Amino acid sequence: MPPVEVKIGQKGTAEPPRQFRASWHLRANAVVVAWLALSAVVVLAQPQLPAPRWLVVHVFLLGAVSSAILIWSEHFAAALLRVPTPDQRWSMARLGGLNAGAVAVLAGLAVGPWQAAAAGAAAVVAVVVWHAVALARMVRRALPGRFGHVIGWYAAAAGALAVGGTLGGLMAADVWHGAGHERLHAAHAQVNLLGWVALTVLGTLFTLWPTVLRTRMSDRTRRCSRLALRLTVPGLAVAVTGLLLGQRWVAVAGLAGYAAGVAVAVVPLADAARRRRPHTGAAWTVAAGAAWFAVVLAADVARVASGPAAEPSTALDPLLPLLLAGFAGQVLLGSLMHLLPAVLGGGPVRFKEHAALLERGWPYRLAAANLGVPLLALPVPEPLALLGWALVLGALAAFVVLALAALWRARHPAGGRGAHPGPAAAGAVLGCLLTAAAVAVAMSGTSAPAQVDVRPGARQTVEVTLSGMRIRPAVITAARRTVLTLRVTNADAQRHDLRLATGEQTPLLGRGQTAVLTLAPLGEAVDGWCTVAGHRAAGMTMRIEPSAPAAAAPAGQGHAGHQTAAAPSAQGHAGHQAAATPPASGQGTAPLDVMAPMSPGWKPYDPVLPPAPSGTEHRVEIRAKETDMEVAPGVRQRVWTFGGTVPGPVLRGKVGDVFVVTFVNDGTMGHGIDFHAGALAPDQPMRTIQPGERLTYRFRAERAGAWLYHCSTMPMSQHIANGMYGAVVIDPPGLPAVDREFVLVQGEVYLGQPDDPARAARIRESRPDGWAFNGTAAGYDHAPIKVKTGERARVWVVAAGPGTGTAFHVVGGQFDTVYKEGAYLLRRGHPGGGKDGSGGGKDGPGGSQVLDLAPAQGGFVELVFPEAGHYPFVDHAMPRAEAGAHGVFEVSAP
Amino acid sequence: MTWWSVVRFLHVLGAALWVGGQLTVSLVVLPLARRLLDPERRAGVLSAVGRRFGLFTVAAFLPVQLATGFAIAVHKGVTWASLAEPGYGRVLAAKLLLFCLVMAAAGLHGLAIGRGLARTARALAVASLVGSVGIILLAAALPAT
Repeated sequence: MPPVEVKIGQKGTAEPPRQFRASWHLRANAVVVAWLALSAVVVLAQPQLPAPRWLVVHVFLLGAVSSAILIWSEHFAAALLRVPTPDQRWSMARLGGLNAGAVAVLAGLAVGPWQAAAAGAAAVVAVVVWHAVALARMVRRALPGRFGHVIGWYAAAAGALAVGGTLGGLMAADVWHGAGHERLHAAHAQVNLLGWVALTVLGTLFTLWPTVLRTRMSDRTRRCSRLALRLTVPGLAVAVTGLLLGQRWVAVAGLAGYAAGVAVAVVPLADAARRRRPHTGAAWTVAAGAAWFAVVLAADVARVASGPAAEPSTALDPLLPLLLAGFAGQVLLGSLMHLLPAVLGGGPVRFKEHAALLERGWPYRLAAANLGVPLLALPVPEPLALLGWALVLGALAAFVVLALAALWRARHPAGGRGAHPGPAAAGAVLGCLLTAAAVAVAMSGTSAPAQVDVRPGARQTVEVTLSGMRIRPAVITAARRTVLTLRVTNADAQRHDLRLATGEQTPLLGRGQTAVLTLAPLGEAVDGWCTVAGHRAAGMTMRIEPSAPAAAAPAGQGHAGHQTAAAPSAQGHAGHQAAATPPASGQGTAPLDVMAPMSPGWKPYDPVLPPAPSGTEHRVEIRAKETDMEVAPGVRQRVWTFGGTVPGPVLRGKVGDVFVVTFVNDGTMGHGIDFHAGALAPDQPMRTIQPGERLTYRFRAERAGAWLYHCSTMPMSQHIANGMYGAVVIDPPGLPAVDREFVLVQGEVYLGQPDDPARAARIRESRPDGWAFNGTAAGYDHAPIKVKTGERARVWVVAAGPGTGTAFHVVGGQFDTVYKEGAYLLRRGHPGGGKDGSGGGKDGPGGSQVLDLAPAQGGFVELVFPEAGHYPFVDHAMPRAEAGAHGVFEVSAP
Repeated sequence: MTWWSVVRFLHVLGAALWVGGQLTVSLVVLPLARRLLDPERRAGVLSAVGRRFGLFTVAAFLPVQLATGFAIAVHKGVTWASLAEPGYGRVLAAKLLLFCLVMAAAGLHGLAIGRGLARTARALAVASLVGSVGIILLAAALPAT
């Protein structure tokens, strides 16, 4: 007979287990305890972590709970079926595989790449399927017994995780966007929590609960168990299918079936509780966990039924604290309180000692946890929520400490001195706890000071932290001629940088990245700010000020020295506020700094227009994408694009060519496309398609010209202003070859993120913050277009708007050919080429200075640069040129 | 080198003697006394060591640390309000809190010795030592300005 540590339905737990079993379970449960401790750490570190909530959930559920399920369901299966446990090496391999998978998922999603997360999810699924196969093998080997029905629950739970893990892997791989992703999320959460976690717990409770109560099982157990399994599993399957398909009422029906199954399963458990009231900490903790499960299930059904149909994924979100801490955490803790003494072994006396140790102070722990749990879930004020965390984590930490003490005690059976750890160890633990508390106090709050006064000296380094839309310190005072070095660290989840008015600038820093700026010797006050759009206005400003000469007085003067040093700091604050006010009040309307440097790594949109490809049918795929782009020097912001660039890809062909465009929406909202170059009924090809959908847009280019294409989804002003435009060039017949051909699509720049209502209002009122050729304001000032003298250049120009056209002009150049909207206004070498026939002639006297285009019009100009130099090209509506509609032809000698 | 350097030197020296003294007693004197001395003489030696260290604490260490610490804080412009501010103030507040706790542990250690609670006394002594190392940690974390 195999050693059975947990006697089902019997009193007493004597029988010392064989040593290797105990040590294997010890090791395995150490893994669970370690994940629990890590969960507490992650909760404490929450504000500093990326995706904190997600990480807490997965460290706890995928780490602690899943490891415990793997260990204990196998252990119970062997004990209940009275078969030898599977080969210990394979069990350890499964546990190792699960943990490796969990670590890969956590690492892959927290820091990337997503492939690691997807591979981790695949590993978890594989391990759990393997686990189910091992359980099935045990069933086949076992004699028919009273407890075989429990294995069905474990197998069903494993199946649920196989589904849920696969859904998680798909989410990590980001296969569906937008609403599809939400549905995946909803199904993933429900199937893992209600399937993997809850089914395992329910199956285990049939036998564990009477054992915890030290009573016998209800006679109805088997019948109820089989019926409950037949209700919960199909119910869950229907619910998950409904969630995946976005069918709310299907999901509700499935959840209702699942809840009915749970109600059936509770019957024998209630029987047992009636026979013997809970009287131990373990029993009460498990009971409290089960009660929270009932609450969560009812709330979940109600929320899926009543919540907005568009967002079923949020149904479980507010319930997560109840489910994690209230249900899963307490059932796990209660089970461990009951099971650990048996696993630790060492005979009846030691068993009682261990049990007494683990149950120590359980009423307080139970009360704390169950007072804290609702505080986490309810919309209570911040301090109460913190209190909730403190209560829950305190209870968890107390158990972890007790469990570690029990594990330690079992490993180091003390001789004559009983099982108490030595006084030195107790003192060390006490000292460490005091220190940890003090360090926690020290680290609380944002650690960077608001102001730093730099001591006089030649060279000084100041730590600067970017976080929470603030730059800390906001004011640095230093003696004149100090050479300051700023170590700039971004502690925020989103990206920031720091630019100083004197021109020094850090690259855009990701979370936790640091850059060092060394400044010139300090002269006048220097302002600094984050150049990410909107961040300066939101308060990310700083100021470096020369301190008053008195501050540099010898340090020996004590009080006096301190006071003089304090005076300039007060002025510093005032100065800082005054400096911060103008950008705040003039949000977004402050002129763009077009001469600021571009971010490192920025690449201009290639303005060179290649000749039309051969063939008469052109097949292209254009994907709508929302991406981040530098729309003005140092200003990166979210843009909506065709193909990831602004403007989108330029299409070119000849009159009569057919374009077959596959348009795919990879964005997060509906988009459409409208090609002015083709004439057709807009109904189908220009319709809005949702994320993940595609359409084929086929048009024949019957007429020549420089045509606009743009997003056809309302409001078009927003979609075009956010970057969804491009050009189609259809060559007029007989278009002569030239040395250089360029394309410039002029668009408007609105600073800020697309979801900012103030920005949307500016777009409606057509009040752009700037203008841009090919997507970046003044981009070709920073990356001039290179031409040689004597070369003939043809510049195609399209005005994308949405609200303004252009008056295209090349400073220092004259156009000898102008083509606008399908006709030559002026044509070199063609007498009578102009409108009134006066502008032509090979060496005719007529010339042109500006190509004027209304929004959505297009054309081209040709010119030859007379000598080497820098020829700016501008929208000669000068306010627009000065706000970014500006670039440079750099003309060199041939 | 100013007088403030001397004040800071005294503060650091006091901390070094206090932590170093505890470490020496715990790691050097105690094990050797256990190994080399019979229980009777050991008790006498250890209680003499403890008394001398207690005397040093009360007569020299505490006055010097409190006086120099207070002076440095005033010199740096620390106020009661600034102790609550995140950053320097809060690290200093935590350090003071831990200092008080360590002093309380040390005092309780003396009381426990007096009442013959050897195990409690030993635990408190180790707690005081570990907490003192924690104070050094916090001192190192005080932003150097």
